[in-house]
Amino acid sequence: MAGVKTGIYVCHCGGNISDIIDVKEVVAKATALPGVAVAREYAFMCSDPGQGLIVEDIRAGRIDRVVVAACSPTLHELTFRNALIRAGLNQYLFEHINIREQASWVHKSDKAGATAKAIRLVAAGAAKVALQGPLENLTVDAVQAVAVIGGGVAGMQAALALSAAGFRVALIEKMPFLGGKLLDLDTLYPDGEKASDFLAPLVEAVSNDANIDVRCECEAEEITGFVGNFKLRIGQGGEFVAGAIVIATGFENYQPKTGEMGLGEPASNVITLPAFHAILKRHDAVAGGPGLAVVGRTIENIAFVHCVGSRQAEGVDQPQADGKVNDYCSRVCCTATLHAIKELTMRFPAIRIFDVYRDIRAYGRGHEEIYEKVAQFGTIFFRHEQDQPPVVKNGSVTVKDVLTWNEVLEIQADLIVLATGMMPHPISQLVEQLRLPRGSDRFLLEAHPKLRPVEIANSGIFLAGTCQGPMDVRETSAAARAAASKVSALLGSGKISLDPFVARVNHDRCDGCGVCLGECSYPGAIAMSETSGGPRAIVSGALCKGCGACVAVCPHQAIDVAGWGMDQFDAMVDAIVAEEA
Amino acid sequence: MTTETIAVRKDALVIGAGIAGLQAALDLADMGKSVLLVERSASIGGAMIGLSKVFPTLDCASCITTPRMASSIHHPNIETWTYADVVSVEKTGNQFHARVIRKQRHIREQDCIGCKRCEEACPVFVPDEFEHGLGARKAISIPFTNAIPQYPVLDIDNCMACGACAKACPTQCIDFLQQPGERDVEAGTVIVATGFSLTPMGAKKHYGEGKFQNVISALAAERLLAPHGPFGRVLRPSDGKIPSSIAYVLCAGSRDKSIGVPYCSRVCCMYAIKQAMLLSGSLPIADITIYYMDIRAFGKGYEQFYQNAKAMGIMFVKAKVGRIREDAQHNPIVRIERQEDNCRPEEVTHDLVVLANGMLPGFDVSCLGITKALDGFTASPHEKSLPIGTSEAGIFSAGTATGPKDIVDTVVEASAAAMEAANYLRHGGAHGRS
Repeated sequence: MAGVKTGIYVCHCGGNISDIIDVKEVVAKATALPGVAVAREYAFMCSDPGQGLIVEDIRAGRIDRVVVAACSPTLHELTFRNALIRAGLNQYLFEHINIREQASWVHKSDKAGATAKAIRLVAAGAAKVALQGPLENLTVDAVQAVAVIGGGVAGMQAALALSAAGFRVALIEKMPFLGGKLLDLDTLYPDGEKASDFLAPLVEAVSNDANIDVRCECEAEEITGFVGNFKLRIGQGGEFVAGAIVIATGFENYQPKTGEMGLGEPASNVITLPAFHAILKRHDAVAGGPGLAVVGRTIENIAFVHCVGSRQAEGVDQPQADGKVNDYCSRVCCTATLHAIKELTMRFPAIRIFDVYRDIRAYGRGHEEIYEKVAQFGTIFFRHEQDQPPVVKNGSVTVKDVLTWNEVLEIQADLIVLATGMMPHPISQLVEQLRLPRGSDRFLLEAHPKLRPVEIANSGIFLAGTCQGPMDVRETSAAARAAASKVSALLGSGKISLDPFVARVNHDRCDGCGVCLGECSYPGAIAMSETSGGPRAIVSGALCKGCGACVAVCPHQAIDVAGWGMDQFDAMVDAIVAEEA
Repeated sequence: MTTETIAVRKDALVIGAGIAGLQAALDLADMGKSVLLVERSASIGGAMIGLSKVFPTLDCASCITTPRMASSIHHPNIETWTYADVVSVEKTGNQFHARVIRKQRHIREQDCIGCKRCEEACPVFVPDEFEHGLGARKAISIPFTNAIPQYPVLDIDNCMACGACAKACPTQCIDFLQQPGERDVEAGTVIVATGFSLTPMGAKKHYGEGKFQNVISALAAERLLAPHGPFGRVLRPSDGKIPSSIAYVLCAGSRDKSIGVPYCSRVCCMYAIKQAMLLSGSLPIADITIYYMDIRAFGKGYEQFYQNAKAMGIMFVKAKVGRIREDAQHNPIVRIERQEDNCRPEEVTHDLVVLANGMLPGFDVSCLGITKALDGFTASPHEKSLPIGTSEAGIFSAGTATGPKDIVDTVVEASAAAMEAANYLRHGGAHGRS
């Protein structure tokens, strides 16, 4: 520890920390730690003046190592590393200690205990950073091409934006044609544009784009490699090398089980909203003509039922195959249903319409206007509570309607349309191959909903559209471009900088036993190479995730993870269990 | 007014440095474009930096705004002007010319070291806008703790010219006679991220026109709940009492033609539920009621959040609030008609009422050379395929400038606008459907 000058910075987090932890006490104890030159506290270390304290201490030569005790490193580790860079210090001579999630928030009722814990965590950070040397980022080349998986609205919009930004794009679509779920729709809300009219120019632009290689009837069968250099095997032996991958695999309509909401009963008059769209499509030009007929039956009354397969509750609704109910809202069905009613009424004004709902979620621009229009048309609304779902049986809907003082009403309808929700398109093969994170709703899970909404933890892979969660066309168009934006920033310079926290092999100790290879979960990350002294393990920095599995099994302690050395772990543990904190 | 002759040339001009503008500027800068970020307030951060926690994760808002603020202010490709108004944008060929007025802080920024001695010395207290009037600031003050930049603004309207600040300033940077400056900007593309304003408390006369002390706005409630808020705890404004019965009035500034806001403001249901949850955390025995028309918990994880709130005992009452009055102790009394149960009008007395105000456009974009929609927000000729487009090729719009929106959707739109702006720079508008 000789010669080390560590600065310790304890953040109040505007009360999130300082209301529980005695930050002054933490600073007082930190000052006495070996190797510590400066210890300070501040309201928001992440704020500009907070970072300024660190920068000033470094520039003045008071410190050459930094420990910040604050929130989770996922929020601000990068912020402080950047402060070190600005001050001219190697960014990895830094340790981020979490005394918020790991102390003040979890020990709210034990202020003294939380403070004591914070002191020990800070001591561990100081002990670790004292043994830290400067590290340099790894750099890999970025192939100027992108694989977009899924040829619906999201995939096409992402492909067009990326092509315009100068990247070669492979647009991979499983079906024989582009367009995705929009191919099944009649018209789109809020303006009533025909889905086919919306799609046509998009498909044409994609097809005419020399930078976009459309691969219909293809799937990404195997994906290897790493950020900047993914190799995809795409149907019929084709291969595509891409710097990044955009996942735009979309959604599936919720399909009620036979018997659920009366669907599939003998002589059933129950259909789903997508099936109703197909009917509307066939009755395209009949406004003013004969009425709506479905399988030969003239339709005079239609009942729409919201939230089928969405907003489900455990104990009320049947779980899906994985044992979970769809407890989420599918976002688009309310307005989609109201829009279908509007279209229907404009074409067949004589049809009586009933709408059975829990909450009308007409949230978006132009949605409320559709709701109002539909109400003006004379649609009769029934509202039910979650634990009193409507029953669809023998061609009628029975609902306990809270709008008429909980009266139980039976709606006799010629046709019953179920507003079915969204579920992610099944992509288990991709999920397994790329280790994609999924949420409890089964949709792909973004790294952070606000800070990184189209990124996932896996570097070089981005999300576009409804593979991530329900959204409408407008929102999908934005999400696809957002994904393109992140790809463009990542690949644009031709080089990608990666964290240096990867395994390092000491070849003087390694005897080539190969135990590490068996333990590594990332294909290609560690391999044997013939050297003059025999076989030795070598690490591919771009593939190694720094998990440390190889470190644990190496019988000769020949492997270490940069920035997380065994000596550093020892020092941290010693500091945490020290007699006197 | 002093006109500086230097014209600033950048690839992109981003107007507004809330979360939308910050994200758009960062994405463009990360794509190697030079960006001028212009913010009319004295600090970047927008509405988000004033929030307590955010739904549905309950992350603290500061914690996820400050990383974006810090990255943008230090990004080598971003130049930031705060306390500056874009007064016009004109297009010539493929270039945009903007006139920007840099308002006077009455300090020489190049000399200010942010030491706050002026603020400490100033004897004048005025209501603090950042705390929505629930706290006080000095007539010369840095806008809030984690403001960027850390320059004070001397509020000349409230200054009594005692000179205490000038005496206290160690660098003699106070300048009482400072004039605003005008600068010309040339940019290849423009992103409008001018955000929203809250429907005013006085908009609905049935709700007291903002005159009842214990009927507060949603953003004021955010400050009450913020860990570093004005009181550090939840107290009601009239008498500092800890409220034991709190009500939220949803759609208090939305879905209401009588105040000219027919649309849904999209975020109010969720922020009301979030605030209710935070309140029940800090005031465990308080009764919390949410009066609603529909609960629009439509985003990712929102429905589950709503169900959690119900499970926590927050009362959801489907009722439109017709009128609010107050009694002699300033307790707000809400007159409701329950849509469920008996449907008879009734009056309920609460200690504190929070209006779920809606969103209005934060800025009149007409001066930027683009047309606005009937609702006042920006309009795209291709609303579904290019939601971030505007009536002028090369000008894009993101976040609540395009309509009410939550933070997640705002951030996504901001990145989308950055992508389109970068592609416009590359092709001069000769691509896509715009």
